[in-house]
Amino acid sequence: MNFRRSDGPADRAESERLLDTARTGTPPEPTADPLALLLAAAAAPADPGELTGEERAVAAFRAARANPAPAAAPRPRHRFRVGAVLAGVAATATAGAAFAAVSLDRNPEPAPPPVPATSGSTGASGPGTPTHSGGATPSGGPSGGIPSTAPTPGGSGGPGRPADAAQLAGLCRAYLAKSDRQRARALETDVFADLVSAAGGADRVEDYCLALVPEKSPEAAPPEPASPRAASPKPSAHKATPSAPAAPTRRTGRPTTAPGR
Amino acid sequence: MTGELNEAVAAAQAGDEEAFRFLYRSLQPGLLRYLTALVGADAEDVASEAWLQISRDLPSFTGGEFRAWTVTIARNRAMDHLRRQRRRPALPVPVQALSELAGDADTAERAGETIGTDSALALIASLPPREAEAVLLRAVIGLDAETAGRVLGRRAGAVRTAAHRGLRRLAAMLQRTDADQSSDQAGGATPPRPRTGRGRQAPQAPKAEPADG
Repeated sequence: MNFRRSDGPADRAESERLLDTARTGTPPEPTADPLALLLAAAAAPADPGELTGEERAVAAFRAARANPAPAAAPRPRHRFRVGAVLAGVAATATAGAAFAAVSLDRNPEPAPPPVPATSGSTGASGPGTPTHSGGATPSGGPSGGIPSTAPTPGGSGGPGRPADAAQLAGLCRAYLAKSDRQRARALETDVFADLVSAAGGADRVEDYCLALVPEKSPEAAPPEPASPRAASPKPSAHKATPSAPAAPTRRTGRPTTAPGR
Repeated sequence: MTGELNEAVAAAQAGDEEAFRFLYRSLQPGLLRYLTALVGADAEDVASEAWLQISRDLPSFTGGEFRAWTVTIARNRAMDHLRRQRRRPALPVPVQALSELAGDADTAERAGETIGTDSALALIASLPPREAEAVLLRAVIGLDAETAGRVLGRRAGAVRTAAHRGLRRLAAMLQRTDADQSSDQAGGATPPRPRTGRGRQAPQAPKAEPADG
């Protein structure tokens, strides 16, 4: 029908015009060339079928209004990423550093989950309420020790269940990050007592943790641990199969996705 | 239009739910179409995630082009989604859409006549990714080349070039199909706003609810 064009817009300027026409939503004349019609069709007004998510979006809007995220909210992933790196370092270091991971989970920054449906939403971290602010440095030092001086995570009483869940998840990550040998020892410590009881016994901790710690979460985006010591499983590695103790290269089970941006 | 949008943004930031609905209705179709090119059949889910984030982060939007802000969020969610699937983000051509195009080919191949939204999008999605994104951001989302460049992290000139190449490729596709149809149809009877029924857009119940964070 329209033989005017043999191979589309002759130059960028013409393309720009076509695109600008399409984006203004002006209905093309029926006799417009096929490309213009195609662009107009692509930019056609909404079809009702495209708006089916409206109520859900509005519900999210209401929830966000009711429970506004703190200013820090736009970058939750960053926080988690840092946490993951630190936790990774910590887990590499020793059992003692397990604490770091745990207290990191209860992130210093006040980021109360905006919506009741917390778990899984902000990624694996599920930041509980911060009780220890900031003190999350993996200071344990590389001595394969049992944490002695650290505050007991279970005791510090997160308010209600979410915090507990977050703590348990943190403990799980710390636990899963350990080598087989370290695990057994770790479970005898007070630090992991809550975990053991939550799991219903030391022998069930592993299954419990594998179930509890999501193997991948949209937001959780620990990048490669920058540390050269990274030759250890990541804290969230769900597949830390108990094999060679302290196996240096157990990074295969890296379950998480790449950084969000 | 943009002024209207900005007003609605301000009102929504102040808590006006109707304004938020307006934003949704204005922006969702474009986002969904763009996302369909990026992630195929998962576009609705990804769009849903994007709206959760938009709702949450709306207070922190400080001005600028709101369309660009939302489409950046949507794009990031799409990239996350693709990573999650361990697919290469560089391969956004939704195979489903293309095979549906074959089914929908009656429409697509009457190129000079009517082409439906779905078919048009499927054709665009079949372009090389960069070109497809450039065309969609410009024509469907409605950004100018500079803003589209910011969304894509590329220079405006690169976006113009990609869009231009994409259009030429599309024109060639159309011509091919047109020629196949031994084109002696009069173009006069064409409804100005062609749309097909969007059968495949069957509103599925959202299963992925999380992501408030």
